[in-house]
Amino acid sequence: MNPERESCLVEVLDRLLNKGAVLNADLIISVAGIPLIGVTLKAMIAGMETMLEYGIMEDWDKSSRELYARAETHLPLFPGEQILYKAFGYLREDEGLIKCWVPGIWNITSQRIILWIKTPGKVLFETPLQNLRVLRVSASHEVRRELELIYPEGRTRISLSERDEFEQALAGATGAMVAIEV
Amino acid sequence: MEESQDTVKEARYLYSVAWTGHIAQLGSIGIQENNVYIVPYKDIAAIVHACEAKAYQTEDKKLAEGWVLEHSYVIDQATKMFGTVLPFSFDVIIKGDDDVVKDWLCQNYEHLARELLRMQGTAEYSIQVYCDHAYLEKLVLANNRGLLDLKNSIEKEPKGKAYLHRRNLELKLKNLSYSEAGRLADQFYSGIKPLVKELKSESKTSWTPEKYRDKKLLASCSCLVSEEAVKRLGEVLEEINDKDGFFVRFTGPWAPFSFVRLSEAG
Repeated sequence: MNPERESCLVEVLDRLLNKGAVLNADLIISVAGIPLIGVTLKAMIAGMETMLEYGIMEDWDKSSRELYARAETHLPLFPGEQILYKAFGYLREDEGLIKCWVPGIWNITSQRIILWIKTPGKVLFETPLQNLRVLRVSASHEVRRELELIYPEGRTRISLSERDEFEQALAGATGAMVAIEV
Repeated sequence: MEESQDTVKEARYLYSVAWTGHIAQLGSIGIQENNVYIVPYKDIAAIVHACEAKAYQTEDKKLAEGWVLEHSYVIDQATKMFGTVLPFSFDVIIKGDDDVVKDWLCQNYEHLARELLRMQGTAEYSIQVYCDHAYLEKLVLANNRGLLDLKNSIEKEPKGKAYLHRRNLELKLKNLSYSEAGRLADQFYSGIKPLVKELKSESKTSWTPEKYRDKKLLASCSCLVSEEAVKRLGEVLEEINDKDGFFVRFTGPWAPFSFVRLSEAG
């Protein structure tokens, strides 16, 4: 049996809109500044006219473009600042409607502690290492392996499964500045 | 950085990347009859047209579909001229002029060249295997004596009992047909795997032609197949298609849409 090259529109659309080498977001940003993937067009052809009618996809398209346009591709560092340690973890969000744990990558640099999310690149939390104190939260939270960061502007709870390593890295980065209270 | 990017008005619409080191024009075959040409770097090139730095968007569905077909046509023509290309999705636009495109090729040369080499002499094909529902049930019943007996006894039973038993039978048949379909699909995939370079099974298809609409989709996949293996693959598929109750849909060749990996590029 010979393969047919049916000029079936749906199949062509599927390949061009859903498959194909789409540049990854990082690459688009680094080259183009704004990712110009025609989300609206894609949605429309996919039969989502209703969503378009109500402006849902357009808004989403616009806002996601803006988001990506603003986003950093790499964790922005000060001149001379170095990343010393990275680990996946969470930040406790107590303000706003819902109290929750926000995931991201905790970075200890030579100057700061930063929670970074890669997509879209965004700093969720940062505080200088100077004047920072870290408190190990009591045993009742042992499952989550929490720490409390205390800094001049306030205090916040964080969580890392690799808490011991994080503490060691922090001690290494700050010398004697941080006292970990068990 | 954002500001300087925003002032860039010029852009290049990217269709594909191909092996070729020569400057060439493909003519006014692009979207909205744009002049398509190549931007070479070393022995690879980007196939582009010059455009404004904004996405192609419209609320006119017919127009949008036309654009996508035009994009597809350029990829086909480029494949004819340069061999297998790395196809890009619709509406991938690089902000900047040819030099920016060249920079991008230069930065990603190693990865793009590696992908081109991997795709050389291959094309993507799409295969769907369908089966008659009735035939599938027949297969299940033939291999399950207990179920066949139940089916035969229902006809002689009183109405209420028959109803319950029929429901029971339908449920069992449905479950067994499901696992039988899975078994047949596994058999199919392991049968064609030696003939293809890469295989991606798909849980659903974007479109089912009218004549297969009442059939059960057993297997659906995109395969990367080398030129010399296509004939043999066709023969294997024909054998399946000739079997009672089975139907094969075999389409292609397509540019390797499902197999190009650019996630490492950057």
